[in-house]
Amino acid sequence: MTASDLTVRTLTPAEHLDFVRRQASVSFLQTPAWAKAKPEWRAESLGWVRGGEVVGAALVLYRQLPKVKRYLAYLPEGPVIDWDTDDLAGWLAPMAAHLKQQGAFGVRMGPPVITRRWSAAQVKEGIADPEVHRLDQVAPLERSEAGARVVAQLQELGWRPQAVDGGFAAGQPQHNFWIPLAGRTEDDVLKGMNQQWRRNIKKATKVGVEVSAGTDADLKAFHDLYVHTAERDGFTPRPLAYFQAMYDALAAEEPDRIRVWFARHEGDLVASTIAIRVGTHAWYSYGASSTEKRDVRGSNAVQWAMIRDALAAGADVYDLRGITDTLDSDDPHVGLIQFKVGTGGEAVEYAGEWDLPLNGLLYKAFDTYMRRR
Amino acid sequence: MALTLTVDGDRWRQHLRAVAEATPGLVPVCKGNGYGFGLGRLARRAGWLRDQGFDVDTIAVGTYEELPEVAQRYSGDLLVLTPWRPFGAALELPAELSGRVVHTVSREQDLVDLLGRQPGARFVLEHLTSMLRHGMTGRQLRTAADHLAGARAGRLEGIALHLPLAQGSHLGEVHRLLNDVVAAGLAPTTIWVSHLTPEELATLRASYADFRIRPRIGTDLWLGDRGALRVTATVLDVHEVDRGDVFGYRGRTAPKAGHLLVVSGGTAHGIGLESPTGDSSLKARAATLARGGLDAVGFVRSPFTIDGKQRLFAEPPHMQASMLFLPHGPRVPQVGEEVEVRVRYTATGFDRVLVS
Repeated sequence: MTASDLTVRTLTPAEHLDFVRRQASVSFLQTPAWAKAKPEWRAESLGWVRGGEVVGAALVLYRQLPKVKRYLAYLPEGPVIDWDTDDLAGWLAPMAAHLKQQGAFGVRMGPPVITRRWSAAQVKEGIADPEVHRLDQVAPLERSEAGARVVAQLQELGWRPQAVDGGFAAGQPQHNFWIPLAGRTEDDVLKGMNQQWRRNIKKATKVGVEVSAGTDADLKAFHDLYVHTAERDGFTPRPLAYFQAMYDALAAEEPDRIRVWFARHEGDLVASTIAIRVGTHAWYSYGASSTEKRDVRGSNAVQWAMIRDALAAGADVYDLRGITDTLDSDDPHVGLIQFKVGTGGEAVEYAGEWDLPLNGLLYKAFDTYMRRR
Repeated sequence: MALTLTVDGDRWRQHLRAVAEATPGLVPVCKGNGYGFGLGRLARRAGWLRDQGFDVDTIAVGTYEELPEVAQRYSGDLLVLTPWRPFGAALELPAELSGRVVHTVSREQDLVDLLGRQPGARFVLEHLTSMLRHGMTGRQLRTAADHLAGARAGRLEGIALHLPLAQGSHLGEVHRLLNDVVAAGLAPTTIWVSHLTPEELATLRASYADFRIRPRIGTDLWLGDRGALRVTATVLDVHEVDRGDVFGYRGRTAPKAGHLLVVSGGTAHGIGLESPTGDSSLKARAATLARGGLDAVGFVRSPFTIDGKQRLFAEPPHMQASMLFLPHGPRVPQVGEEVEVRVRYTATGFDRVLVS
């Protein structure tokens, strides 16, 4: 199949949504609704068209360069195109031309392509091994030929990998933790978890933790607990309006695209989360927990409820989102990895984020500016 | 009467064992002049390492022409580093070696040709590195892999990388090259690689534990412990001269009183011939020029050392002997005495190699 007959044009949000619905799954960052969750950036729905049919799509967010009316065109976890092709140039060249016309001095994208997978057991062994400091030091369970082919072609075509050096980079995480759900029952998933997770889930039920899903009216309750968590764990919380906009936009697209979850013990809110699902892919997106009553294990209970809900909705993947690539037992991030690894599942590595400079001078200026920030 | 390489056998063998011990999958490189030792001796020594229990099941030669030198002396597999081409010595391979030889294939057409001629051929695919010498690009590797998947012939023994000499870290390049191997659908496989530091190898082995890494090592193996090696020439004659005395092929005159020494070792051994050291500094280039311009600028330093001091050539070296000038003052060596010589082993032919 040749890609040379592809053209790229702006899609209406309706055309874009129609394309998304025809896919098994795309990242929620590539839904037309996500544009409304990021109102501070100009957004465009982009389509690849062959013979009148939309065969690929992207949500482009335009980040303006300070003082100049030129943009970095950002396609988070996108675009949604045929990544199995041996002719990526045929797809990417018309996209770059279109974005340049729109005033972009460079493109940044995150091909939704997996390059490597590690089992939970491998990650656990890596953390236990004092010689191992990074995920890369552990041979993976699987290397993806398709993923490697994308990386090889991007190198050939002059795209530049955006190095992720420890911790979380500014962009989307390159390493994520997944629980595969396809063809598995609740029992299978539970058996895949480590003993501590199973014990905690059981304990939450025994002491009477109740988990329920709420509506946008309950977002304030989530946000209060989230601000509390931010103070305790030392990160900067996003404002309530951000979650409101995100919830309204995603909920308007599909009724069960976004859900806010609550775990309560004797009327006290002990944990709250936000879950998102597009087709067969379910994400755990944001989480908050109380400092009091940690022993009732509200966080485990609410995760288990979300996993069961994803299974019931027919999801193939429950995505716990980013992990850092550190396996150093002294690293402060390792606790988060251990929490996620306890669910069983696997660490997956994406091809990462890649840049294509369209205007060398402006791109260089931008790159320097980002490095100094 | 000879240019002699004397090897402290115990120390040398201990070094060889230490390298083999520290380098699983070691592929000893036995090519060219055999690093001064001779190809045959290295082949036997590689077999000795194998007999000691190290997994040295393959040695590498440079060219097809070198195969007969090593084939009788080492019983394992023989990797040829020069890529197979549909002409020359590659086509004259004796039938009895065809099962032991691992070819290097660096072009898709050669793969087709080789498998057409020898359907059971064993081979590695060479991947083009930043050296840009031989090898397939990532895309050519993918095409070759597709061809192999359809051909069902031959025996792919892995991927060969010929990296440039270390300039900073190789790992970025190696990661990129191995990504191409995965992209071609050839992973996991054996990677035959040269010029990685022990640290780089360790990192690579950790990240690619599902691959087999086979380091090809020549210099660091055979010549890695210079203290075990001693090169000497013999003083063949000594003549006292006064200032103004005429001597030599070219009728030069002695600049001052002293002695002329005739020592074994000349151009036939590689003495006085420059081989590039890789040092491209202005000083190094000037030194090369100066040596070439012997007659024009007077006497130049020779590689011969007497009592710890490098001595001057009295005139350019002859085919099998050299003339040195020794001014009055230092001790004058006797005929029959041995003097030390500094040489590049890969460019020197010794008359005798004595391994204790």
